[in-house]
Amino acid sequence: MNIVVGFKVVPDESLIRVSEHKLLLDVPLKLNTYDKNAIEEAVSLKERNGGRAMGITVGAGDRKAIREALAMGLDEVIVVKSNDLDVYGTSMAISENVRGLSPDLIIFGEQTVDSGTTGVPGYVAELLGMPFVSNVRSFSLEGKKFVAERGMVSYSEKVEGELPAVISVGGEINTPRIPSVKQIMESSKKPVKEVNFSLETKVKIKDVKPLVVKRKRVVIKEGDMGKAVDKLIELLRSEGLL
Amino acid sequence: MKVVVFSEALQFFKMASALAQSLTEDTVGVFTQKVNFTRKLYLVDKVDEDGLVDFLSSTNFDLLVTGNVRRDRAIASRVAGRLKVGYVPDVTSIKLEGNKVSATRLAYSGIATAEVESSTPLVITVSSFPGEPKEVEAEVVRVELKEGKVRVLEVKRSSGGLSPATAQIVVGVGRGIGSKENVSYAQELASVLGGAVAGTRPVCAELGWLPEDVQVGLSGLRIRPRLYLALGVSGQPQHIAGIRDSKVVVAVNKDENAPIAENADYFVAGDAVEFCKVFTEKILKLKG
Repeated sequence: MNIVVGFKVVPDESLIRVSEHKLLLDVPLKLNTYDKNAIEEAVSLKERNGGRAMGITVGAGDRKAIREALAMGLDEVIVVKSNDLDVYGTSMAISENVRGLSPDLIIFGEQTVDSGTTGVPGYVAELLGMPFVSNVRSFSLEGKKFVAERGMVSYSEKVEGELPAVISVGGEINTPRIPSVKQIMESSKKPVKEVNFSLETKVKIKDVKPLVVKRKRVVIKEGDMGKAVDKLIELLRSEGLL
Repeated sequence: MKVVVFSEALQFFKMASALAQSLTEDTVGVFTQKVNFTRKLYLVDKVDEDGLVDFLSSTNFDLLVTGNVRRDRAIASRVAGRLKVGYVPDVTSIKLEGNKVSATRLAYSGIATAEVESSTPLVITVSSFPGEPKEVEAEVVRVELKEGKVRVLEVKRSSGGLSPATAQIVVGVGRGIGSKENVSYAQELASVLGGAVAGTRPVCAELGWLPEDVQVGLSGLRIRPRLYLALGVSGQPQHIAGIRDSKVVVAVNKDENAPIAENADYFVAGDAVEFCKVFTEKILKLKG
């Protein structure tokens, strides 16, 4: 079977800092958190069912991150070089480049840590006319038939459908493998194909500002927890709470 | 200007309706219960995701506003893809001039906002919007949705109890509470305060110390209590995004440099479990 993983290279969000009125985005890049789960799911499905697992990424084509994706077990990666794209543009870039691969299954991480739209997986599914299941927590395959469990926060849902399909997965579905030194070495021999793409976006970003909610930031530091709690209760009562 | 509103959840349907009412008279709702917040209401018989995508795509909207729960977001992105129109999630404010739309949305896991521009037709999901929708008499049309390609085999509702989504006091648990057993101290504290327990994504989804339906953050619930107590919560941006609308935030953490300290009104340096024990005892004494 042909499995395609859509992944994104993103700024490491835990290192992003705010200075005055700007976000300091000049931080190391990484594979988007849940996209590692998507890669793991694709590679383990390939190991069990045979076939190929290919990756596609749009935007920042960071070599180190792409090497990591290959070392985890992808057979090949397509890097789409493009202008800054919105959900529509990114989805078009992906759908146009995966159509020719006749994918049986396309797997995405359910949310990126930068733009965080969660929009691309569903958008791509519709562009390709394929069924879509979001927020998958477990996935099993028998022939062309799949059963997936979705985590919907206030409930969970078990669904069934048939390939070809598009799914998005979260951190709960598996534990991404850490590639061995040998796999990292071998990844340099795997093919990375670069293609160009450009499209006028439908949504344009005018400005990005840090979002700061003003908090009082009062620190209560007492050697004794009893005293600290007394002080807190007094403060909360003065705010009309408790 | 025709604005169509959909959400799986009543709370978000109301929020989306309030946003729609602020833009136009021509409001159309798609919902599973009879409610009076839009001029026209398509009353659907079930929440079949494929069926809803088909139906919403056929409503000829200028603007589709959905809520922000996972089902809403999946449906919204699919309708946008089906019609090849723009998609803007997590909207917190919106302005309309002719067919030009300017909106503010959350970005970078909720630590930033982005000002975006687009034109109609457009699909958005709403993250927060002030005020309640006005009651209007809705013309009701019943709709039977088509069955989709993906069939639902089973639905499991998560445990009942007071939901952090609506509670006035919420006690939030992070990894720093230490263990699943220690979560009971937070539950006891919540119960004497008459509040609800919530957890971060690692605690709910990965470690399973609490059920997933009380997960607070960017990908879970966005809460707005009068008091939020963050116990052993480090304060990752994804979690902060879910507690932003809390009136007062108290954090208890051993690490004074944890990011939660910058996002708290009151920060108590110390052990979360010890705090729970002492706070519970003092509240019980106050109550007599």
